Amino acid sequence: MLSSGRRFDRTTALFLSLLAASFIFATFDVRAQGGGAGGIMRDGAQQLFAPAQKAAALAVSPVVGFVDGISNIAGLRAENERLQAEVGRLEQQLRETAALERRVAELEAISGLEAPEELAAVTARIFAGGAGTFDQIRYIDKGKADGVLVGNAVIDEHGLVGRVDRVTENNARVRLITDPLVAVGVRVESTNETGVVTGRGSSALRLEMFQATQPVREGDVVVTDGSRFPPGIVVGFVSETADVVVGFALRTSVEPAVPLSEVDFVKVVVGWSPLDAGIEEPGGLVEPPPFVDPAAERR
Amino acid sequence: MRSRGLAIALASVLLSVVVQTTVFAPDAVRLFGTAPNLVLLVVVVCVRWLDPDPALLLGFTAGLLVDLLGSAPLGLWAMSLTVVAYLTLQVRDRVADGPLVVGVGILGLTFVGQFLFVVLGTLFGLQTITDPQLVKNLVLPSMYNVILAPGVFWVLARLLRPQQRVWST
Repeated sequence: MLSSGRRFDRTTALFLSLLAASFIFATFDVRAQGGGAGGIMRDGAQQLFAPAQKAAALAVSPVVGFVDGISNIAGLRAENERLQAEVGRLEQQLRETAALERRVAELEAISGLEAPEELAAVTARIFAGGAGTFDQIRYIDKGKADGVLVGNAVIDEHGLVGRVDRVTENNARVRLITDPLVAVGVRVESTNETGVVTGRGSSALRLEMFQATQPVREGDVVVTDGSRFPPGIVVGFVSETADVVVGFALRTSVEPAVPLSEVDFVKVVVGWSPLDAGIEEPGGLVEPPPFVDPAAERR
Repeated sequence: MRSRGLAIALASVLLSVVVQTTVFAPDAVRLFGTAPNLVLLVVVVCVRWLDPDPALLLGFTAGLLVDLLGSAPLGLWAMSLTVVAYLTLQVRDRVADGPLVVGVGILGLTFVGQFLFVVLGTLFGLQTITDPQLVKNLVLPSMYNVILAPGVFWVLARLLRPQQRVWST
């Protein structure tokens, strides 16, 4: 069929037209930054596919669990031994923490501070991932109806998972911290210095600290700095020691605290926004002093 | 017959999108951290049996669906899968239809389709090319697609061309 010149021309013309249409779609979508007509189409497609995806996820979960179990069986004995050692260590830590909690409570009582209340959060189940090979996104079964908003932090028991970047009535899309387009303001707990963590796809995160004065060590805990996500959420652990070089930013890699390929349930932090950090509180603005003309004052 | 074939191909693409986002999702069935690119595989196999114009439209539609349910700008997967459909059209009538040829073809087409997406993604600001595990993420799905190909080929060939043998020699 392709040997016919006319047919070949028509097919090639259609091919070029579809390429041009794709290019136009991409250009407009990038310019609209995910909003506009593209955003409406995405929300519509997600609404349409969500029931089938939820049903499929439910149907295949026992099979997936079985396959996971089979593939993990070799490592179970070593994992068991490691966990027993971990339990012993954690029990010791728990006793120390209980003692510390008592001391903190006493100190708070003395200084008149109120203990920070737990942030309001909605528990959600992940029912689908992205359709593309390189997507670093997940779909969760909670949306606007549950109070989820674009920008909300998504966490699990290990730490930060990502942030909500699209919301429909009953579902939301979460962009993971491993996505190259996600940047998280962080603080290294051991040095108390701040930096930015960015995703690198399926690899470890990249930590950049532009004003670091102290080195970071392998295993150092990296937590959110409170600029865009609630402060103190564990993002990951430094995986390579890095020293400060004068005139250069400190760069190293960070292993995410959350095993992102094994997450089934997450919590969406709905009770916090960057404005709560007091950056733009009306009362926090300081009026500039009134201008006094020295010449007029002399007169 | 033609519209029936197109309807079956479209239904197969829809089903493959659902399977890709659930069964082969990152928290489900994965081997060495990657999964097959099932949508691309279904497009290649369907294009094998469709007329040229519906075949191109199928590639474009499948890509657009992947774009809509993914995080990339709209049109990037559409462009990649349209190119894959076009390349499949170019080679399908020029080579013998044997298991080895089909295997090598699917390996190459999957790799090319994904590599094209990586290049386009980088041009449109996705930074896909900066992933240190890029080669693994390009090669493994191509190999998985080859493994899945006989099953997908067998099912779709029977649906699209019920009277024809799957591996004619």
